[in-house]
Amino acid sequence: MSKTAIKFKLAILKNTPFILFVCIFIIFGILSPKFFQYENFENIATSASYIGIVTVGMTFVLLTAGIDLSVGSNMFLSASIAGLLIRDLNAPIWLALLCAVLVGTLYGGINAFFIVKLRILPFLVTLSTLVAGRGLGLLITKSQGVTLPESISNWGAVRVVGLPVPIIIYAVIALIAHLFLKFFPMGRQIYAIGNDPEAAKKAGLNTDRSIAFVYIISGLLAAIAGIVSVSQMGIVNAGFGDGDEFDAIAAAVLGGTSLFGGIGTIFPGAVIGTILIQMVQAGLVYTQVDMYIQPLIQAAVIFVAVFLDSIRSREISKIEKRHIRVEN
Amino acid sequence: MKRYLALAVALIMVVTIFAGCGSTKAPDKAAESKSETTAAKTDAKKEITIAFLFQDLETEFWVAGHKAITETLKAKGIKVIERNANEDANKQLEQAKDVIAQKVDGIIIIPQDGESAVAISKVCNEAGVPIGVFNRPPSNKDAKSLVVVANNEKIAEQAVGYMAEEAKKLNKKMKPLIMVGDLGDPNAVGRKKGFYNVIEKNPDLFEKPIEVPTKWDAPTALANLKSAMQANPNVDFIFTSSDFLYPQIKSVLEPMGKWKKIGEPGHVMLAGLDGDSTAGRLMDEGYVDATGVQDLYYEAQALLDAMLDAISKGDKTPNQWIDDPGFALTQANMKDRRLDMWGNKLRKDKGEIK
Repeated sequence: MSKTAIKFKLAILKNTPFILFVCIFIIFGILSPKFFQYENFENIATSASYIGIVTVGMTFVLLTAGIDLSVGSNMFLSASIAGLLIRDLNAPIWLALLCAVLVGTLYGGINAFFIVKLRILPFLVTLSTLVAGRGLGLLITKSQGVTLPESISNWGAVRVVGLPVPIIIYAVIALIAHLFLKFFPMGRQIYAIGNDPEAAKKAGLNTDRSIAFVYIISGLLAAIAGIVSVSQMGIVNAGFGDGDEFDAIAAAVLGGTSLFGGIGTIFPGAVIGTILIQMVQAGLVYTQVDMYIQPLIQAAVIFVAVFLDSIRSREISKIEKRHIRVEN
Repeated sequence: MKRYLALAVALIMVVTIFAGCGSTKAPDKAAESKSETTAAKTDAKKEITIAFLFQDLETEFWVAGHKAITETLKAKGIKVIERNANEDANKQLEQAKDVIAQKVDGIIIIPQDGESAVAISKVCNEAGVPIGVFNRPPSNKDAKSLVVVANNEKIAEQAVGYMAEEAKKLNKKMKPLIMVGDLGDPNAVGRKKGFYNVIEKNPDLFEKPIEVPTKWDAPTALANLKSAMQANPNVDFIFTSSDFLYPQIKSVLEPMGKWKKIGEPGHVMLAGLDGDSTAGRLMDEGYVDATGVQDLYYEAQALLDAMLDAISKGDKTPNQWIDDPGFALTQANMKDRRLDMWGNKLRKDKGEIK
């Protein structure tokens, strides 16, 4: 195979998630021409924004071979606290939102403490805090929905430089996270820990600090995601955030993040994964596919994406090995 | 040392989880201490004790259901033992065995699901204790029980039927949209069926409906409704299979300039089902045209009447299915029936309305 052919094949393989994304977009567009409208793409990105923010945090955690099942409860608890501060104590909005972010970060800190200091498995810790967080949220809200003032619910529709605020927040967070993982020493350490924690330790890395960091970041981003979601819905009810942890894990994995750690990116990976899931959901509504068939199509798309990703990884490593030999 | 500390903390976490969950349910505390709502007697010879086992109080609907039952029991002067299963079907089964051992006269359950309703009913049948199942039907009829359940299809028909009458007055063919619940939930399926029964009966009034899946999840509903409204901006009638989705409907319609009160140009006709406090408020404000209501107080009364009847006759395994036909609260009957809706009763208790 010529060098050009190898380069072309590599380019195709490395961009498989993006190519799949474009193909699905075109298919839905052909089936329903309105799908190509700019408003639709904006809608998809806005709807994906809050789960995308959670996915960024989840990607950090997954890169260390960990898991954070508590993000949905964290969203519920921190958003409920913000809502109650505003509704019952007439707190200024900025203060309530700040408190929500602090609660989310503390939530992540509690996870980090149990995982790093007490060496309890992340799955068990975050499963426990998932239940405890939701219980605490239900206790303080008495299971009643907390309606937020219109100044917050309207804020989800505000535009900055022509784009809805939720998209801007998501884009900024994804960009910072991407740059952090790519260029900052701590970012590289997170990959190293996920690849081989023992080797990372022997290399002198402070693995505890990095692991604590990813859970705190996940907690912080879950709280921000909760605020972004509330800004679109205007109410925090008892089911708020329920099951969002699984959507975030699915989006991260769909974007190529390995559940075993060490592999994955924010951009294009997690971002494409999140938007792909949302796009399929929107496409099925646009094309009015039978509702009993929809879950099958969604599952098939996820399966195909993950299957292609596994083939892609194998092929890339094969080609790169051959390529090294050619160069030598 | 660190290992012991870890074990201790893990133990504390587990205890906290269960304590946390339990503490969310205020009535559970009272229940665990075998609180007696009241000890008055319906019978001069024997005080009747009924155990009330409920799955949780996580939503406004179940809070109202709990209230409807306890108030009805109180009104009858019956001693009540309450137990909260915190969404754990096995725990609820153990609770049933526990109250049977205490020789209660009857058991009323809000089961976690249809399967656990059957399992608990079988245990009660074997023990010879009458059981009543509230609002969530058993998945099969293998066990004998008193079952009261809302007829979702009929209730949806009543609400959408009112919309059809209103549509006639507009003298134009309408584009309806239905927000469908989780298709694994028989309630959602019944509501969808009731909606279509009316739509199909009136082909001259309605075009082919747009279906929006919600999976009973607010963000999913929001995202899908946005997509559906962008694809079909001519939708002028929305039926939500549950009232809890009104905030999402508002979030979508408002930026499109379609969140208008009844009578204002561009008003999108809105109807729902459940009868929660949000629907009550939006009907008062004039945004929502009608909502189908599960008549929780009727259900509680009917179930308790059947239960007391069985106890007085010595029937240990009563077997009866009681249908709640519900009703539609509409802008036309608001004056008379406003406070029959459980959501408005909750608002009244909170002092929001008179």
